[in-house]
Amino acid sequence: MFLSLAVFVQIIVAVLLIIGLMVANAVAMVYMERKVAGFIQRRPGPYEVGPRGTLQAVCDSMKLLAKQIYRPGNADLILYYLAPILAFFPVLLLFLPIPFGPYLTPLPVNDGVVLILAFAGLGVLSNLLAGWGSSNKYSLLGAARAVAQTVAYEIPMILALLAVVLLSGSMDLKSITEQQGQWPWEWNVVLQPLAFFIYLISLVAETNRAPFDLPEAESELTAGFHTEYSGMGFALFFLSEYANMLLVSFVAAVFFLGGYRGPIADGFWWLFIKAYLLMFFMVWIRWTFPRVRFDQLLNLNWRWLLPLGLLNLWLTAIVTKLLV
Amino acid sequence: MNSIIEQILHNIGHLLDSCEAFLAPILPGQGIAALIAFFFYVLLLLGGGLTAVLARNLVRAMLGLVITFLGVAGMYLLLASPFLALMQLLIYIGAVCVLIFFAIMLTKNTTDGEETRCPNPINVLYAFLAALAPIVVAGPIIYLQTQTDPLQVQKIPVHTPVDSGANLGEGLLSMDLLPFELISIILLVAMAGAVFLAFKPQRSPNS
Repeated sequence: MFLSLAVFVQIIVAVLLIIGLMVANAVAMVYMERKVAGFIQRRPGPYEVGPRGTLQAVCDSMKLLAKQIYRPGNADLILYYLAPILAFFPVLLLFLPIPFGPYLTPLPVNDGVVLILAFAGLGVLSNLLAGWGSSNKYSLLGAARAVAQTVAYEIPMILALLAVVLLSGSMDLKSITEQQGQWPWEWNVVLQPLAFFIYLISLVAETNRAPFDLPEAESELTAGFHTEYSGMGFALFFLSEYANMLLVSFVAAVFFLGGYRGPIADGFWWLFIKAYLLMFFMVWIRWTFPRVRFDQLLNLNWRWLLPLGLLNLWLTAIVTKLLV
Repeated sequence: MNSIIEQILHNIGHLLDSCEAFLAPILPGQGIAALIAFFFYVLLLLGGGLTAVLARNLVRAMLGLVITFLGVAGMYLLLASPFLALMQLLIYIGAVCVLIFFAIMLTKNTTDGEETRCPNPINVLYAFLAALAPIVVAGPIIYLQTQTDPLQVQKIPVHTPVDSGANLGEGLLSMDLLPFELISIILLVAMAGAVFLAFKPQRSPNS
């Protein structure tokens, strides 16, 4: 049954590997982000430590580990310390149903999509508790923005994913991958370009990245909901933010870009290549577009993405019903 | 002294046995692991519920509510319907709790509202009476069912096998269509009512 020893060991090994992946991903992404930002803004980026500055991120993480944790005197202690933990641990769970390769799924789940969406909801809760627990007006404002934004953009995101679920008749990520072919024109992005577009916009908003990074807009709110966090408290938020980026990229790759399938040979390398191309895309638009205003952000969602998502879902339902 | 401890241990063992006998038809072949999980979720439910009711701070009360919902999701998992468990997380924690939190943050004076004062003793009495209601309603049924025949519990009519989304959808759109539609009407009425209560006719800035 579902509690057999083999499955248990499999989950433990998978979680350990995922923690490794999260840390490696954060270090690599910090380097990539700073280098790409430097390139876009015509400056060198980090170049002192190691060859071409590759060790800069490692040094930064060492500094972060050794830093003292300050906490505000009138903080709500339980909520203040609970929030980073709550940000970090659900993310571990989110990677479990992702099919990394034809025989490489950490935990095959029938309702993989629902699992990811369900536990992703805990992430916004942690932002809220962080903002509230620090008892700081900037944190609180950041948390309020995080709620409005995440709740709003979750809807078009789910609608976009639902269109693909309707198309393939399954909520299992592996069978969604298997139904797409090896070549790019056999992927779901060809059949669902609008859903892919909606998903791309809402994944940037869901991960609180610029141009939608209003919950932590540093020019207005210092650092938003994690203003009062230092040392490992901040590091956990940081790790989970980059892990969330990786996760939404994985989900986009699985749903729209054929997952681990690709020309010549299927395997986890294709999934990683696609996911990191999407991550590069997110970094690229972060340093290209200015931050939007809050009303623009919400108008874009409620007036455009939501109706478009509903329309797309409706059309997909009709077409699949007529053709099948 | 030893005999008393033995007696207590014996009683606890007996209690666990009867719990297992009660849970056996619901949880076939899971045994002690399911029992541990069951008590863990009960702990979550009771602890979260008490936190939600007794906390002096609205945000902590909401955290209690989140823990309660986690316990409910765990109970769905134990009843072998993971889809419902995940939906519980998605809707109640991901949407409902977050919206409640939003409402809390939009209101002022969250730290010195009615709930921070010592409650009226009469209200405490009423609250305990209300907490006893499920025991009064469901207790005799469960007791009679388990007394006569433990397998009777199985005969509570659950006619749709809710182990997957597809089955659930078929059940909702065929056998249980009427309750399904009625529930959506209730939601619609609640939404319209909320809009009606919150809506204030706006005067134009000129007048």
